[in-house]
This record gives sequence, structure tokens and C-alpha cells, in this order.
Amino acid sequence: MSAPTLTTNTHSTTQTSVTSPTADDVTLRRSPAPAAGLSRIKSGLVNGGRALWRAGAILLFLLLWELGPLYLAPASTRVFLPPLHEVLAALGSLIANGQLQNHLGASLTRSASGFGIAVVSAVVLGLLVAWYGALDRFLNPLLEVFRNTAALALLPVFTLLLGIGETSKISIVAYAAFFPVLLNTIAGVRTVDPLLIRAARSLGLSNFTLFQKVILPSAVPTIFTGIRMAGTSSILVLIAAEMVGAKAGLGYLIVNSQMSFLIPDMYAGILAVSLLGLAVNYLLVGVERHFSRWRTAVGSRNS
Amino acid sequence: MTQSYVPKISLQNVGKTFTVRPTKDAPLGSTLTALDGITLDVAAGEFLTLVGPSGSGKTTLLDLLAGLTRPDTGKVLLDGKEVTGPGKDRAVVFQQYALFPWRTAAANVSFGLEGTGPDGKRLSRRERAERARTYLDLVGLAGFEDRYPHELSGGMKQRVAIARSLAYEPDVLLMDEPFAALDAQTREQLQEELLRIWRTTGKTIIFITHGIDEAVYLGQRVAVLSSRPGRLKEIVPINLGDRTRDGDVRSDARFVEHRHKVWALLHDEVLKAQQAGHTKILPDGTAPDETPQPISGKAA
Repeated sequence: MSAPTLTTNTHSTTQTSVTSPTADDVTLRRSPAPAAGLSRIKSGLVNGGRALWRAGAILLFLLLWELGPLYLAPASTRVFLPPLHEVLAALGSLIANGQLQNHLGASLTRSASGFGIAVVSAVVLGLLVAWYGALDRFLNPLLEVFRNTAALALLPVFTLLLGIGETSKISIVAYAAFFPVLLNTIAGVRTVDPLLIRAARSLGLSNFTLFQKVILPSAVPTIFTGIRMAGTSSILVLIAAEMVGAKAGLGYLIVNSQMSFLIPDMYAGILAVSLLGLAVNYLLVGVERHFSRWRTAVGSRNS
Repeated sequence: MTQSYVPKISLQNVGKTFTVRPTKDAPLGSTLTALDGITLDVAAGEFLTLVGPSGSGKTTLLDLLAGLTRPDTGKVLLDGKEVTGPGKDRAVVFQQYALFPWRTAAANVSFGLEGTGPDGKRLSRRERAERARTYLDLVGLAGFEDRYPHELSGGMKQRVAIARSLAYEPDVLLMDEPFAALDAQTREQLQEELLRIWRTTGKTIIFITHGIDEAVYLGQRVAVLSSRPGRLKEIVPINLGDRTRDGDVRSDARFVEHRHKVWALLHDEVLKAQQAGHTKILPDGTAPDETPQPISGKAA
């Protein structure tokens, strides 16, 4: 009983009566119904308080964005940092005239194709590398070199070889998304509990069945962690690639608006990018969680 | 117990030596004799328990029986035929349960039923589920079909593992310290259940343990292994009279007598093993404690 009372004290200022734990216990024993109602109100307040606290930083940031340019900054800055409502208005008109949808569609198509190519090829190669030690020893040094070469450093190479069209953009996204998936696939297969392999072997399973029924399912959560990381980096790299040379896409929208001095449009583009990133991450976290349901629920209990 | 004495399992002069990875002290690598000259017959339907000090090669012996490794000398025979690999005529129950965490209890039990059976037939999904339910019921876990392993206690996990081993109906059950990780109460409960299952199914069971009480309580015979290299020191036949009547078998005079006998046999070996600092031989054949010996040297 003492724990909820304490949290209520810290999180809610509207609490009317401070009840001691012993008094609560007595009420509970004598009349359970009102006590239950009271505790429901209390937990409601606690939850509401927590939600407010969690949203607090975002709200504060948006408030600063709105009021800062209006009252704190000199008028010249306001041109480069328009208040939130102007940006939202720009975003609204970009949606109304369908421009945003066009750019978003272009970006999504590119990142989805690149990401898809990366996931499929990286999972397949990762499984092979993890299974065949000789292949791993052979390829590992080269993979280390590529992994540690920033994808964007290779952007000029991709542009020179594949032009400024879709191919080069999809390729660079695939390149950037490839390594997180590959490394996590290898790690996932390597960390399969050897006891499970022994148990499956004792049943006389063939290598292929062992792979399909034990190694792959056991590695899936780790692979999905890699996929989630790849999702984030594929968007990051795509935006940069679109800024350098493209005729559509969110990166192009941002740079083009800046050059045309449509500053609110530029911010609208940035806002769209961060919302897209958030959405992709949430989606992939959801998928990851779905495939890791069987894992011990320790993490989710604490969050 | 009356049995027709055709050995179900026959170990003939079985020996197993591991090559230890080269270390600083022994750059050429060294050898480790885990088992040496084991000869042992197990009758069909027999319950044999196997005790020995740490590092006496108990798990190695079980791996040989399971067909996970091959002996360096001698032969392992099953129904008179040499064991050349793992097969569904034998099932292994491990100490750490070895359940597949992404499968529910029922899906774990039906793991061994997937694919074609020994008769070349394939069970349908419904038949597999049916069989899983039957065996979960047999181990006292009816109603837990849809639970994931992490939702089950240690004792329940081991019950699932036993059900999984029984589900594909092997003749032989090989158990490697299956109850060692459980608390005393659960262990006693499962020992009793195992005896019940053994009586109802008539399986041949080889049960490895480091618990003398457990060995005497479960086994019809207790095989005692010496410290490394593992040799068969003695086989103690256990006769506790009528086991089916209710009573505290463990306080029975005969139990105490048998227990003492096994204890005395094991005691010297445990001391020897401790003095040599032996611990478990790992599945890859290394024993972290082993003092490296030159490759030509015989084990002390």
C-alpha cells in the first residue's frame, strides 16, 4: 500500500487527503468497494501524470519553437526559423497540393526497395557466413573494411557508376542497410544455444532441418534487431542522397525549398522526415516484438 | 523383476579419448582418456543408473549411446546392431531441459514427430497435436499445451522435455542428470513420476546422476564409474522389495544399506578426482582443469 501512496505524492498536486498506509489498510478491510474506487482514481492520476511527464519535453520543445522566434529572437532570425504555426501551415498546403505525397512516395519507394534488397541478401549471406567457418574467415576482413567505410563516403562512386537516377539511390540505401542486418544475422546464428543443437542432433536431424527448425528460429530476434537498425540507417542515407542529386523525394524537397528560399517548406520537409523515421522505427519495433514473443518477458515487464 | 536376458544395449570394451587443444604448456596438444574399457549389458526394460565422480566420463558415455560421438575402441550395440549415429530409437533428456524457447509446450513435444517417421509415414498436424496432448497428460501437464518454456517452472520444463522424448516412442531413454537443477521437493516428485512412467511404458532407461540417493532410489542396478579415466568399478544390484506399496522407501533398512555400499564405492573415487582437480569434460572434449600430458603418455 505504501508504494502507490508515495507515487501519488510525487506526481499529483491535486491530492486532497494524505492517507497513511495503515489507514488505507483499515479502509480496505472494512469496505473494499470505495477503496477500490479510490485506488482507481489514484492510479488514473498517476498514469495521467506519467503521460504528461513523458510528453512534457516534446511539448516544451514545440512551445519554444512557436514562441522563441516570435518573442525571443531578432526579426532577421525569424525568417530562417519560422514559428511552428507557419511550418504547420506550410506542411498543410504541401499536403493539400499533393507535393508532400509525391516526395514521400518517391522516398518510400527508394528506401523500401533498397531496404528489401539489403535484408534479403544480408540474411542469406549472413546465414552462409555463420554456418561455414571457412567462408567467414575468408570474407570477414573484407566485410570489416566495407562496414567501416561510411556509406555516404561512397555516394560519389555510386553516382559516377550508376548515374543520378533511381539505381544509384536504391543501391546506396541497400549498401547502408546491408551491414547491420548481416552482422546481426551472423551474431544470431553464432549465439544459438549449443545445447539446443545437441538436442536436435540427438534426434538425428539433417543439417538442413537443423538449420530450418533450430538455428533460424533461434536467430530471428537478433536478426530483427539488425533489421530495425537497418531501417533507421536506410532513411538517413536516402535523405542525404536525395539532397545531392534528385528530382523528387523528401531530401530534394528540403534542399530545393532552402534554395528557393521557401523556409517554412524546408522545415515542413524536415518535420516529415522525422515523422517518417519515427513511424518506420515503431513499425519495425512492433514486428520485432511480434517475432520475439517467446523471449523471456523480463524486458517488457520493466518498461 | 523377470526379464528375458537379451541385452538391449551392449557396451563392449568401449573407450573414448579426446585430443586437447594445444596450450602454452603443451604446444603439441595432449590427449585425455575419458572412458577406458567399459563393458556393460543393459536388458530391455531395465532401469540402470550410472554414478561417478565429476569428469569420470558419464556424459561422454551417454553421448556414445546417443550416437552423438563414436567410440575410439570397442563397440556400442543396440539390439545387437552397432550404433553409428543418432536415431529415434533412443531419446536424450538433458539436465538443462534443452526446450526450444520459441515453441509452446505442445510444439516442443511434437518436435520429434515432424518429418517422416521410422515407418516412412508422416503424421498430420492434428495427429501430432493429439500425441503431444497425450504425452503432456502422461507427465502431468494437461492444460499447459500453449505455454512457452519461459512461462514454466524448472520442474515443468523437465516434464515437457521428458514428454518430448517419449512422444516419438523410442525404446531407450538416456537421461543426463535430468533432475540435478531442480529443488529437492520437485526432484523427489519427478523421481516418483519417472518410475511410474517407466512402469507404464516399459522403456529401457539409462539415468546418469551424481546423487547416490537418486541412483539407489531409481535404479534396478547402479553402475559406479571410477575417476578419470572412467572405468566400470562395480555394478550394484538394488533390491528394495515391493516398491509399489506406499511407504518411505528411503528410510528402509535395505535402502540405507545399498546407499552405503554405493557411497563407499564412490567415496574413494571422488577423493581421487578431487585430488586431481577433475571437473566436467566439456562437449568439445576439453576439460579446463586437466593437467596437460604429453601426447604419448598414458593417463595416470
